[in-house]
Amino acid sequence: MADLVMPKLGLTMTEGLLAEWHVTPGAAFRAGDRLFTVETEKVANEVEAEADGVLAEILVPEGETVPVGSPVARLAGDGTGAETAPAQARDARPAPPLGAQDAPSARKLMAEHDLAREQVPPTGRDGRVTKGDVLRVIATPLARRIAAQNGVDLQQVAGTGPKGRIKARDVKGAPQVAAPAPTGPAETGDAREIVPDAVRLATARRVSAAKRDIPHFHVTHEAELTALTALRAQLNAEPHAPRISVTHMLIRALGLALAERPAMNRIWAGERIIAFDKANIGMVVEAPDGLRIPVIRDAGRASLDEVAAQARDLAARARSGDLRPSDMGDGVMSISNLGMFGVTSLTPIINPPNAMILGVGAERQIFRPDADGAPALRRELTLTLACDHRIIDGADAARFMADLVALLETPLRLLRPARRTADPTAGE
Amino acid sequence: MAETRFIKAVNQALSDAMEADATVFLIGEDIGAAGGSFKATRNLLERFGPDRVRDTPISEAAITGMAVGAALTGMRPVVEIMFMDFTTLSMDMLVNQAAKARSMFGGQGSVPMVLRTPHGGGLNAGPQHSQCLEAWFAHVPGLKVVCPSNPADAYGLLRAAIDDPDPVIVVENKALYAMKGDLPEVPEDRERIEIGKGRIVRPGRDATVVAYGAAVAMAESAAATLAQEGIEVEVIDLRSIQPWDEALVLESLSRTHNLVIAHEAVEAFGVGAEIAARMADIGFDELDGPILRVGAPFAPSPFGKTLEDAYRPDAERIVAALRRTLA
Repeated sequence: MADLVMPKLGLTMTEGLLAEWHVTPGAAFRAGDRLFTVETEKVANEVEAEADGVLAEILVPEGETVPVGSPVARLAGDGTGAETAPAQARDARPAPPLGAQDAPSARKLMAEHDLAREQVPPTGRDGRVTKGDVLRVIATPLARRIAAQNGVDLQQVAGTGPKGRIKARDVKGAPQVAAPAPTGPAETGDAREIVPDAVRLATARRVSAAKRDIPHFHVTHEAELTALTALRAQLNAEPHAPRISVTHMLIRALGLALAERPAMNRIWAGERIIAFDKANIGMVVEAPDGLRIPVIRDAGRASLDEVAAQARDLAARARSGDLRPSDMGDGVMSISNLGMFGVTSLTPIINPPNAMILGVGAERQIFRPDADGAPALRRELTLTLACDHRIIDGADAARFMADLVALLETPLRLLRPARRTADPTAGE
Repeated sequence: MAETRFIKAVNQALSDAMEADATVFLIGEDIGAAGGSFKATRNLLERFGPDRVRDTPISEAAITGMAVGAALTGMRPVVEIMFMDFTTLSMDMLVNQAAKARSMFGGQGSVPMVLRTPHGGGLNAGPQHSQCLEAWFAHVPGLKVVCPSNPADAYGLLRAAIDDPDPVIVVENKALYAMKGDLPEVPEDRERIEIGKGRIVRPGRDATVVAYGAAVAMAESAAATLAQEGIEVEVIDLRSIQPWDEALVLESLSRTHNLVIAHEAVEAFGVGAEIAARMADIGFDELDGPILRVGAPFAPSPFGKTLEDAYRPDAERIVAALRRTLA
């Protein structure tokens, strides 16, 4: 016997929603067959069989969210877990893996509250974790009272008392969540309650965490686009060449800027810094059921055409729900362009674990004084860079933005390879 | 103010009460010619005569029965039972007669008697002369129980008990009899202490210790120890065990959010259990830690000094309980 587990499909994936099973218990499958679909914050993934096998039992039904690594199904025979199968096969009654027997509602709750299974003392039969075990918060009456008054979710509070008991002192500094509305709008008749879907919930949790945990600061810069517009028109005038958009040029410019300033190509990962060799840039795409952020790879070395081809492909697949796990992750930053809606500027929220996100507004025609003070018509774009201050300081961000704007204003450089960098910290 | 001792304050209270009210008389074993086993009634026979200071045979049931009868006829008897351990023999008269009379006579009569008796250990007096049995009396509707922690309170509570129209058990910790304290020299300045009211002996912010009798000094010592670490402990002297000052304890708990109850009596089923249960009820949302009790273990009091020292609660155990509830 072996288990299928919830795969980890990205650097930061902690849990996945089992959206759909493609095999039924008792059914045999071949290597490469689709087994199930997992939805994470950003993408729906098909999980394929790595080897032939027979599905014995489904442990996680459709619609359940479980942490990465949790068993989702049991395989008969030596299935995919070939290396562990012989030893386990001799055991007539293999011990169920830790957590496999837990109540589904308990697993869901643990996932919702980011609780590891070890954090929850089980009280159920055979060491099962029950829903009550997850819901049980050990807190003093005073701590509970203060939490209720201040709208603190005790599930999110770490207790410092004996056995992890939450005391008043633990609650007093705890972040507050919105107090539940005293009267349910459902009762008034003017509004109704809607249960959010998995993507909305995941997005809500993710942006809340990002805004709460990442110390954002923003720098804004205008870029003059006359030259870039002309170049783009020239490039797109060629009948059979791939069409280039402003976004593609921005991604290519970001790739070059990152390649030439490797100190910016880093993310903060909880007291550690991860430095990337390639300039991978996420692109926020609006899919029918929410946002997706696929990543354009190596935008520092890829040509403008290659960047455009990648971006077009990823955007199309993001909209159709066909993104693969490898389409996501490992990016230092993302770009979010709302220019098509005419907004002047966009101040975006960083997409963890990114260190930056560039918000792009609409191109506008605007009069600026020329050298003689006479009005000169210009095409401008407002760029707002949101930065994680844990790893980026204001001057770094300003220099990076100046580089970016220089590239956009002398856009022929977008067609050249990156300059060799003399950054002393590049080899770190 | 004149310096006095606990036992002298008791003597003063008896003497002042007898001076003030001719219906007050004393009855007990060895209280007259001998002046009391602990000298609480010294010189009172000489001052007030044998009709008002009556020596009796060793017969606690008869002594208490006489007092109940005398009280029903309007006298104010003050019984001395030499050791609280011997109140077992007075129980029928107290529980079935004294405590019930007011209710059974529809409020038309009462039993204005006092029973004084020493409890507590520390004198190596063994299991039959060291017990703290106040919880038994506090359990009986119709009886009041007070337990002073110092000479002034001994005076004030005893005077209030003698004035009280109902039977009051005055429990004196015999280890405190030599305790020094002040009492006003002018008789009119010596105040009675209202039964049912406690007193904040030491104000504090972080935890409350409720104590009575000898445990009050232990609690103060514990508070002084923790004050060196910046932990401010409030100490409440309950003074009166039945009725007890629930409002004061709740008010204190509402500020400190942590509660320890300390007494010398056995912890199990004791006064502390009642206070803990009430506060867990009416003070539940104020609690930021478990309510802890400090009392004697569930065992008879040993004779030997080392064993008795280990048996009796002390300041260290109160400190340990405070640390536990504050953890």
